[in-house]
Amino acid sequence: MSNSHLFLKSGFPRAPLQNGLGRYVCQLQRITLKFCKNNGSSRGMRDFIENHLVDFAKENPGIVVYVKPRRHRTPVLVGEYLNGEREWLNCRNNTKDEISKWIELLKTQNGCSSSLRLRKMWHTDVPSVQGPWTPFLLRSPDANSIEYPNIDASKPLDIPKTATDKLIELFKKQKLEAGDGAEDLLKQKRAE
Amino acid sequence: MVFLSLTQLVRSRGPDEFWRKRRIFKMAAHYRNRPRNVYSLAVRIVHRALAYATKGRKLKKLDMAALWTTRVEAGCQQYGVPLEAFKEGLARSDIMLNKKMLSDLAIWEPRSFEALVKISRERAAVEGLPDIKQRSAFNQVYGLSNLKLD
Repeated sequence: MSNSHLFLKSGFPRAPLQNGLGRYVCQLQRITLKFCKNNGSSRGMRDFIENHLVDFAKENPGIVVYVKPRRHRTPVLVGEYLNGEREWLNCRNNTKDEISKWIELLKTQNGCSSSLRLRKMWHTDVPSVQGPWTPFLLRSPDANSIEYPNIDASKPLDIPKTATDKLIELFKKQKLEAGDGAEDLLKQKRAE
Repeated sequence: MVFLSLTQLVRSRGPDEFWRKRRIFKMAAHYRNRPRNVYSLAVRIVHRALAYATKGRKLKKLDMAALWTTRVEAGCQQYGVPLEAFKEGLARSDIMLNKKMLSDLAIWEPRSFEALVKISRERAAVEGLPDIKQRSAFNQVYGLSNLKLD
């Protein structure tokens, strides 16, 4: 299935308003922990609330923490963000470590994770260090001043050596190797 | 008196029918005309779409690989080195870069790519791989000043 028809928006991972470049503002506005006081599925949530919740609240003074005991309901984490998005997480039968990990995720997110389909899992403002390729990268500016028609520009880029050229080369090499001895021989023969 | 025959006239397939059909209609929301609203048509078209999606996952990988190969070939042909010789030269020089990375380098880091082409060309020339052309934009190949390519 193509992604063009989806009503889900797509985008790239971005920090809203360059968050973190200067000061970092936690995007999580408030977090609500719903749990049942009696049911076993809320045990992890209850453990978390007993042991770690106060420390979490003290470490994050910018996040408002609500705790809602609701009978006969599954334990739920709801995070509300500064952009108005809301993330709902079911924590049924989660241990307190899993819940603290989920809370950590909610704290570090920008908004609801399911509201945006990420097209790439990375983002960079500087995709190229050396400068991206251009068609003019490997062309010298001398090409601008050529007057056409130009004989050199009309030749093929690589002309393999013809058989004649190779023979001439071999002959010259032979002449060099033979040296002066050959010339004397020639003179003798001509004299004869 | 108990009316038993009335239940036999009900054509509902069960209490969850609405949600069962909703699963299909959600995937057919962007279709045109009747397949958007009529279950018997929607179900066939949605199943087709899902089958295409399954096949498409493999095809996407093949398409991307072909695209990267085209780009790397274009990059190394600038320097007169054919793709086969380029890849063989890199492999023999123990440079294990995949098609994706090579294409990214060719586009975004052309100087690094040129260095890779030089390494590959030198190795290919030394090992005697065929088809390396004399022509190139930068014909100075490091370490090959004495080598003749006939």
